[in-house]
Amino acid sequence: MSAEQNSPEQRRRKHPGSLAWLRSEQGAVRTRSVGRTVVKVVGLAAVLFWCLFPFFWLIMTSLKQGDRALNSPDIFQGPFGLGNYENVFDQNFHLNLRNSLAIAGMTTIICIIIGSLAGYALARLPLKRKILLLSGVLAVSLFPPVALVPPLYEVWRTVGLLNTWEGLYLPYTAFTLPLTIFILTTFYASIPKDLEDAARVDGATPFQAFYKVVFPLAAPGVFAAAIIIFVTAWNEFLLANTFAPRNPEVAQTVPVAIAAFTGQVEFQRPIGTITAACVVVVIPMIIVALVFQRRIVAGLTSGGLKG
Amino acid sequence: MADHRATADDDGGILVNGDKPPRPKRGGLSERALGRLFVAPSILLMAAVALFPVIYAFVLSLYDYTRRQREGFGGLQNYADAFADDRFWGALWFTLLFTVASVAAEFLIGLGFALIMNQAFRGRGLTRAAILIPWVIPTVIAAQMWFFMFNVTPGFINTVFGLGNFNWLGQEGWATFAVIFADVWKTSPFVALLLLAGLQTIPGDMYESGVVDGAGPFQRLWYITLPLLRPAILVALLFRTVEALRVYDLPQVMTGGAFDTESLSILVQQYVVRTPDPGYGAALSTISFVVILGIGMIFVSLLGRELVLERTTER
Amino acid sequence: MRRDGRAYVAAAGALVLVGVACTPGDDDNGDGEGGEIVWAIGGAEAQPGGVHQSVAELWNDENPDNPVRIEQLPEEADQQREQQALELQAEGSNFDVLGVDVIWTGEYSENEWVESLEDVRGEIEEASIPGAFESATWGGELWAAPYNTNAGFLYYRTDLVDQPPDTWEALCDQAVEVSQSEDIGGFLGQGARYEGFVVNWLEYYWSAGGELYNEDQTEVLFDTEIAAQATEFMADAMENGCYAPGFNTAREEEGRNEFQQGNVAFLRNWPYVYSQVAGDDGSPANGNFDIAPLPTFTGQGTVSALGGFNNAVSAFSDNTEAAKDFVVWAATNEEAQTMLATEGSVPPTLESVYEELSDDPVMQVLGEILPDARPRPPAPEWNQISVEMQQSLFPAVNGDADVQSAVESVRSYLEGTVQ
Repeated sequence: MSAEQNSPEQRRRKHPGSLAWLRSEQGAVRTRSVGRTVVKVVGLAAVLFWCLFPFFWLIMTSLKQGDRALNSPDIFQGPFGLGNYENVFDQNFHLNLRNSLAIAGMTTIICIIIGSLAGYALARLPLKRKILLLSGVLAVSLFPPVALVPPLYEVWRTVGLLNTWEGLYLPYTAFTLPLTIFILTTFYASIPKDLEDAARVDGATPFQAFYKVVFPLAAPGVFAAAIIIFVTAWNEFLLANTFAPRNPEVAQTVPVAIAAFTGQVEFQRPIGTITAACVVVVIPMIIVALVFQRRIVAGLTSGGLKG
Repeated sequence: MADHRATADDDGGILVNGDKPPRPKRGGLSERALGRLFVAPSILLMAAVALFPVIYAFVLSLYDYTRRQREGFGGLQNYADAFADDRFWGALWFTLLFTVASVAAEFLIGLGFALIMNQAFRGRGLTRAAILIPWVIPTVIAAQMWFFMFNVTPGFINTVFGLGNFNWLGQEGWATFAVIFADVWKTSPFVALLLLAGLQTIPGDMYESGVVDGAGPFQRLWYITLPLLRPAILVALLFRTVEALRVYDLPQVMTGGAFDTESLSILVQQYVVRTPDPGYGAALSTISFVVILGIGMIFVSLLGRELVLERTTER
Repeated sequence: MRRDGRAYVAAAGALVLVGVACTPGDDDNGDGEGGEIVWAIGGAEAQPGGVHQSVAELWNDENPDNPVRIEQLPEEADQQREQQALELQAEGSNFDVLGVDVIWTGEYSENEWVESLEDVRGEIEEASIPGAFESATWGGELWAAPYNTNAGFLYYRTDLVDQPPDTWEALCDQAVEVSQSEDIGGFLGQGARYEGFVVNWLEYYWSAGGELYNEDQTEVLFDTEIAAQATEFMADAMENGCYAPGFNTAREEEGRNEFQQGNVAFLRNWPYVYSQVAGDDGSPANGNFDIAPLPTFTGQGTVSALGGFNNAVSAFSDNTEAAKDFVVWAATNEEAQTMLATEGSVPPTLESVYEELSDDPVMQVLGEILPDARPRPPAPEWNQISVEMQQSLFPAVNGDADVQSAVESVRSYLEGTVQ
């Protein structure tokens, strides 16, 4: 790849240009740019509609009161109120949020730490049979999850991991590591080799070269991986529903709690509470994702190259 | 654990270098030791959690069961039964169809999203948040939501688009479409995020030289962006593909597997949970595993050549 | 050395992080302490404020030494069974009393997950509705104590229909007529491909005189002609507008909502719908609906498929005697069983309650239809049979498969179960 031919100085100088090439164009031809603006606005509107329209339905439904409003196809049929949100928090939902936050957080931290090491080794260090290793790593995540559950349940029961945070974030880490390793391997591999060599010439050990030079440069990949791990662990249902199906005080996670909501009477579907809980869950997730994502986009421009 | 490995590798170093160096050199050997040390924790954790159940399932698949009672050793009978079962082939067909259609659509939409998210424009914060929303909704709930939206009763989509009582989920073909549609909506942001991160590693001067050469936006996309994005694209496609091949929640919640929307995982779930036959369920799981691994291997060999081999053979 | 040292620091750091995130208060792991009875039952009525909780409180007032604590399982029956199965498969003693769906009896007894209740059979049999009692037995032995039952009604709009129909044909005629004149849907039931579809199909099949097995389930009595008649009736109803749009994706709630919104004239559903519609002031159906027994093909009598839950004693309970006392009490105690009818949405199984509460419209109709209501065979292989029926009959009803070969395949499957 020709990217590798760039010296560090060139990269630093030109990198912000990934946005600059757009800007340099905007002033080019005025008449063309009006047409482009229209296309952009229309395109943006389409994107927003695609993404937000179902979410809008979700919010409207979560605000509706009473069975009939909830089940009406007309999203503006009232009465409206916050009753569903009250119901959600009556069911110890804040404890579920705490559990999910802890479990997804731990999964992310462990995954990034040990996945970074493995990814770097696979991308940069001499190891035998890398393809085989990569395949083995991938294979881990491919077994149908539902078939993993009965044997794991027996082991977890014996070891005492049922209804614990560890019982969830350990398997989450194991099953998310393949994705982490693949993402990070890709990103480490895309970082110019000469940067590292330069660091070595300056007397850095391979480990120093890794965490002072390579790791910061891989920041977009690391943060992308972190969001993905976090969201995957946060949304996981099958294992959570098997290993910690009840008791928000201990380890029941958010998706399990939402799926366990019941109506007032047998058979009734608690669509209002479900949608309200969903909105409650999505808002902090968006904040987390936005913060991380800013790091993805800002990664290379503000990050390293100083070491 | 890591301790032992490091020592063992250092010993290897001693053999070659003859003398224990006060500080390891930056030669191949100490790097090799570091490599093993770095890979070890991941491999150990994954093996500890995932290896046992897979072996367990494979052993189970060789036994004959009546419901939960083990009847004896059955050899490969469960596999033969699976290959003779029309439902297995139906599920395999739907799973492949679902995978190809949803991954293709997710890639196109995800790439579009990534290009948008990568631009500087007013309101990009809102746009980025909006793009991520579908993906952070838990799948089980997203599936229920789309059931509600597509189903004739209450018929939200039909009302909004004035389609009367169009039965999306109650007829062959459209049921498949609805499930794929919901998956594309839900998972495109995943692809977008990975590609967005990939876009950051493309140096800006690549584009500048493209502009100087008079390349239009599509030419730049085709000749500059996509080739440089190749590793990120492969990773995104790989993981979307293996995920899609194991799809469970969406068809289960939206159609219950009716109208030819039964996926392999739904079939496995039936024999593991609903009508337990651990041997047959394990055989179906193993077959799915082999199919998925086979498809995954194609990506790995493409990726591997790209990432690993080129670079290590350089030296 | 320094290089490796850093690696160790990193590894140690990771370990510390692992150590930091510890599960809070792992105090209550469900093991029955002392005399506590853990009752694993699911659904809306098991949540705080639900009638199962009231029943437990009533017991606890009288038996402070052996209090019952409810371990709340999810709403969906399949998931309840899965959570019980994981515990029982591991021979765990965390559950003492199990809420067992009427169709799981045989499976649980075959797996030796539940204690036989033969020694208390007499008092339970005497007090309970026969159909509910039958659903708790398998192989001539009693495995659970009936607790709550359920039966399907015909809900109909009194402002659109003069008389509830006696036959399915009449029902469909009226449904088509009303849907044309009023521009609403005709009839809804549980037509999606799940257990409810089998329940609905059996009600047509049974009401045409069909049977699945003989009394002790040693012989298949499946009649392909009657089965084809029932299936074709459903297929026609899909075609000719008798079934409202969305029938083939409708479960309980879809039907209830459509009826409550005033979008359908007829509905086959469980008793819970009554109070929902009657309590909804804005519903067009409120004040304009009534309930009747389900029609038949002959115009005589009525047949409904039974639902509901029985209480079984876990074979791995370390509190068996107290648990047994509780399930017998819950089946026979008048106050507890009356609560199910007055506070809950799940009809009781105690026969005397129906006489007492015969002023209540729901209880009155229930009292009328329950004697003829039938349980699905609580055989160990019921789940397999049900899946097979869904696989064969559902496409036939939807016009995607041939009716005759569908019913033939159900028959041959049933025959495979009795050898």
